[in-house]
Amino acid sequence: MGDYVWFHDVSWHATYAIYFFVIGICAGLSFLSYGSWRTEALRSLREKAAYGSFALLVVGGLLLIGDLSQPLRFLNVLNPAYLNFTSPLAWGALNILAFGIASVLYLVALRQGNEARGKLLATIAALLALGLPIYTGYDLTVHQSRPVWNTPVMPVLFVALAVASGSAVGAILAGANQAAQKLLREYMLWSTGAVGVILISILGTTSYGGAAQELTFMIMTTGTMGLIFVGIGIVAGTAAPIALLLAPFGRQQMGAVLAGVLVLAGGAALRYALLMGPQQLQTLY
Amino acid sequence: MSEELRVSPIETREMPGKRRFAMVVDTRRCIGCMACQVACKAEYDTPLGVNRTWVPYKVVGKYPNVKKQFLPRLCNHCDDPPCVRNCPVGATYKHEDGGFVLQRYERCIGCRSCMAACPYNARFMLPSHRTYTPITNVVDKCTFCFHRVTQNLVPACVQTCIGRARVFGDLNDPTSEVSYLVAKNATQVLRPEEGTKPHVFYIGADRNQTEFGRDAYRKPEVMELERSAFKRHFDI
Repeated sequence: MGDYVWFHDVSWHATYAIYFFVIGICAGLSFLSYGSWRTEALRSLREKAAYGSFALLVVGGLLLIGDLSQPLRFLNVLNPAYLNFTSPLAWGALNILAFGIASVLYLVALRQGNEARGKLLATIAALLALGLPIYTGYDLTVHQSRPVWNTPVMPVLFVALAVASGSAVGAILAGANQAAQKLLREYMLWSTGAVGVILISILGTTSYGGAAQELTFMIMTTGTMGLIFVGIGIVAGTAAPIALLLAPFGRQQMGAVLAGVLVLAGGAALRYALLMGPQQLQTLY
Repeated sequence: MSEELRVSPIETREMPGKRRFAMVVDTRRCIGCMACQVACKAEYDTPLGVNRTWVPYKVVGKYPNVKKQFLPRLCNHCDDPPCVRNCPVGATYKHEDGGFVLQRYERCIGCRSCMAACPYNARFMLPSHRTYTPITNVVDKCTFCFHRVTQNLVPACVQTCIGRARVFGDLNDPTSEVSYLVAKNATQVLRPEEGTKPHVFYIGADRNQTEFGRDAYRKPEVMELERSAFKRHFDI
């Protein structure tokens, strides 16, 4: 009572969470487009996934630039004289740029119908796309003073979320294509399962941690943040789609689409909670 | 700190021929007058809602045994600063002579990565409109009054401290007052477990303030209400 607490603002706001969501789907769709060269079942998704991935890259890039307080200075990140390679953001900027170039070249090859070049560029784009969720995870992991963010599995979690989100969008795009739906159902099931396992390990280590971890666990599992993280992210967005995909209804087109929608909603909620939740405690220090 | 304990090439503590400025805050002498906060505001025209230095306090104990505990706060000018590592464009850097952690405003893109990296909340975003200076929309922080120290003056907060609670000097100089205070007193730094090697040393700091307190047990909604009430009049 009578305390004078100076409230600090969170560093990263919800725009960044939307960026995480968009760039995760972008990477997931790039994986699917590459997968179409490996398995015939995904052939119908090749162009749709490639165009969708590029469109989301543009949206994600604009979100990232718009979130800067000096948007026009985003070019500084590409200035070799300024680049600081100890920052994951610097690597991320280069990764996004390289992925953008590879995506454009891949789309050109698809339009020209050049199969050999298309396959090669799809591989390069998918490898670069893998870097997108990895770098976004590292973006958080390097902040070792923040509970939850500082877990080394964060990049792995973001890769799993990217595969899950990409497969979910793929399931919606695949329509009545039975072969594609069957494969995407498997991708969704395993990646969402991986997300669940990683979340359990994060929650476990956080709740058994020190004071900061314990308080962050409390913030993330109670109140509005608890509803978003546990309610939408874990229960509705991870456990429910797994149960749905394992049930007979999940083998039908409607079941897979419904699971996809749940995975997307959960992915968005998880990214928001993982970004905003661990920042709350720090604002009081 | 011995030579063996220096793990990062960026560290300058006990480096021969180099200065390493530090501040000692003797909380036993702090009376909570906030003159340091005001002096800093006057020195830099820091806008409303943000501070380079601030003095939070807590009322500890139960009546009749109660006391106000002050903990003056500022950038810790870490010897191994995570903000410098995290800045993608090198907008924040450590000055080799003196160990000041400084900001290149013209380079800052406003990604707030340094703010997220700082365990001490020492960094803040400048608002888009300011009265006397064109430096806006970039991250700012305490500079240990670099411009004053290079003119052989002490920082504004140290100059104005009525109780001499804040003492500033070169820690690499064994005859300086800060060296004496650090050597002769039990000192504490904030969040030493983060490995940042902070260079603001506290004498008599209370753990009610150096650790995450009970405030955090309140519901996030309540905290958000309080935060919005706090910020209501600040256009930030």
